[in-house]
Amino acid sequence: MDKSTETLNNNSDATTQPNKTIKNTKDWQRISPIAIIYFLAKFVAGFLSNILVFLPALYIGYDNFIAHPHLWLPIGLGVLAVIITSTFLSFYFFQYRLYQDHIEIRSGVISKKYVNLPFAKIQNVKLEQPIYYRPFGFTCLQLDTAGSAKQEAKVVALKIDFAEQLKKEILAQHQVAHSTIAGESTNTVKDSTSNNKNNEVILNTRGITDLVIHGITNNRIWIFMGGLAPFLDDFGRYIVEFFNGLGIDLEKFLTFSDKPMWQIGLYALTLTFIILLPFTLFSIAGSIITFYNFTLSKVDDRYIRRSGLLTKYEVIMRLSRLQMVVRQQDWLDVILKRINLKFEQSNSALNQYQASAQNSRIIVPSINPNECLTLINDVYPNNKMMSIDYHRISKRFLLRNIGYILSPMFILLSVLFITLDKANFLMVLTPSYLFMSVLVFMRWLRWGYAKDDDLIYIRKGYFGVDYTCFPIFKTQQVQCKQSWFQERHQLSSIRIVLAAGAQDIPFIKQKLAYQLLDDVLYQVESSQKSWM
Amino acid sequence: MQGTANFSNSVLPSEDLPHLTKLSFEHLSPLYAKSNRYISLFSTLFIISVLFIALLQRFIPLSTTANNVVSFFIGATALVGFISTFYTIVADKQKFYALREQDLSYKSGVVFRKTVSQPMLRIQHVELKRGPIDRKIGLATLQVFSAGGAMHTFEIPGLPLEKAESIRQFILDHKDVNHHG
Repeated sequence: MDKSTETLNNNSDATTQPNKTIKNTKDWQRISPIAIIYFLAKFVAGFLSNILVFLPALYIGYDNFIAHPHLWLPIGLGVLAVIITSTFLSFYFFQYRLYQDHIEIRSGVISKKYVNLPFAKIQNVKLEQPIYYRPFGFTCLQLDTAGSAKQEAKVVALKIDFAEQLKKEILAQHQVAHSTIAGESTNTVKDSTSNNKNNEVILNTRGITDLVIHGITNNRIWIFMGGLAPFLDDFGRYIVEFFNGLGIDLEKFLTFSDKPMWQIGLYALTLTFIILLPFTLFSIAGSIITFYNFTLSKVDDRYIRRSGLLTKYEVIMRLSRLQMVVRQQDWLDVILKRINLKFEQSNSALNQYQASAQNSRIIVPSINPNECLTLINDVYPNNKMMSIDYHRISKRFLLRNIGYILSPMFILLSVLFITLDKANFLMVLTPSYLFMSVLVFMRWLRWGYAKDDDLIYIRKGYFGVDYTCFPIFKTQQVQCKQSWFQERHQLSSIRIVLAAGAQDIPFIKQKLAYQLLDDVLYQVESSQKSWM
Repeated sequence: MQGTANFSNSVLPSEDLPHLTKLSFEHLSPLYAKSNRYISLFSTLFIISVLFIALLQRFIPLSTTANNVVSFFIGATALVGFISTFYTIVADKQKFYALREQDLSYKSGVVFRKTVSQPMLRIQHVELKRGPIDRKIGLATLQVFSAGGAMHTFEIPGLPLEKAESIRQFILDHKDVNHHG
């Protein structure tokens, strides 16, 4: 360790603390004043995300403002002054120090917060560079621990070089801590930390074309539509009025009785496209903002994802922290032969309200099958994800869902509608019944599982298909479920809980289920390997 | 670092792998089922009597609609209470736990039978939870947390306090928890 510390000390001369070593800055340090912009941005973001709460106040305020400008000007200035003072104070009270391999952070204006993190406990180091930091060469350093979400720390404005060195040092510490447990020689650790820069291998990059495809295939339009549903009525009326204003009588256009079928079809198609287009563009923009300049690279056992148009993110994941690999294809991906590959880390410690939660996994967007294979093989060299034979789940899955749930509901509703003399509802009911049955069938067709010596593979999906694979020893907990219906047919459903989420395999032979679970437990308990 | 050589998790020596199907399940404390029964029964009776008081009191006269609504709720509460008490009686009989050298298991469920197994190696921390009634009758709920998240907290309710404490100690003494917890 001595050697690497020395080199770091020399380098740190150029940074904010000229005479101090990186490891020990005993005195409390204040970050660069550039952080004021960060706190301001955070304040504005916080305000915008709560805008709904303020909206009535703003509305009333606006009317008053127009009526009495002389009164509201000072108040506006006052509010502005408060914002400026509070962001300045946030900056002023934000202090950190590095002392004896601990990082300590003091922050908060009114409610004070103090975090003390030993380097060895830090699991994850992320660099986050908002757009306004870029011209000045600053970055945010986000430190995660595996333990609890409360023990998270973010140093909001550090010079990039300094942050990089600190990151290296923290990761090196972590490695030492780990290797003493694992009994590896410390020599290799030293080598790997000092050579960090040299042996970074780029595994994958994504161009704009890929991101556009990603935007199209991962369209979240239906979620948007769902959210907009309450406003659709108003929206519709507005559109009709808009077209009326242009001299087009939309209602006349859309009266179907006197039009031939092809024309109606054409209308429907055009309308769908008109609605889909803005959402797709939106989705493409989102994809580019998130994944612009995407690179996935590797240093020793660490995978590094860098991307971002406005805010640049850097996420580092150690191979040992990887919980499972998901090879995901939606139906459009299947047609376009693209794949989203996800490297999932533990997500239990992370609070779902934190923005960092979504970054705890590494997504490689819209890659082609060959690239995907290379990456998966890089992570799990012995995996047979695409070559192994998947066992189907029992056909009783179909019987249960279609036979015992969907069909009785359909029949019941049909009878109800017919007795109520509302038979035209069947026009809607029948197709949706058929569609859901097809969904269940596709679900059954896709759902499969396989296992080799170290890994479990699960395939599932509807029209798309997802392949998941994880090392058996990463399992946290197993569950076996059986209903009366399943018991009669000697079937069971199992669930394997990982730190990255639970994986289900329903409707498999009871005997197989127990064999699988016995084996999983045996591997977990006998391997003695840590899950992270 | 222990190798696989030290590994033992045997239930039956004749088997080459320990089997979940061969677990020897133990019953929860009989007090647990009894207290659940009473809680279910008394809470139902309590709600019904509150509704009855509302119905029969003469201080604030109720409208006919309100009267009907309250009467309906009394009936509904009685029905739901009866079903839930009955269900509690049946369900509590189906709750078992099993302890092996390397893992804990808990079986429950009436229509959907569920067995959860938690390897000790993956336990992050252990808690004993005791509500006021638990304290009164000397029971405890053992909660075991793994990295699987809050959704998958492993829980054994209705253990006698000493038993719960000894299981907790057993988990804490388990060598692997010390290494990896």
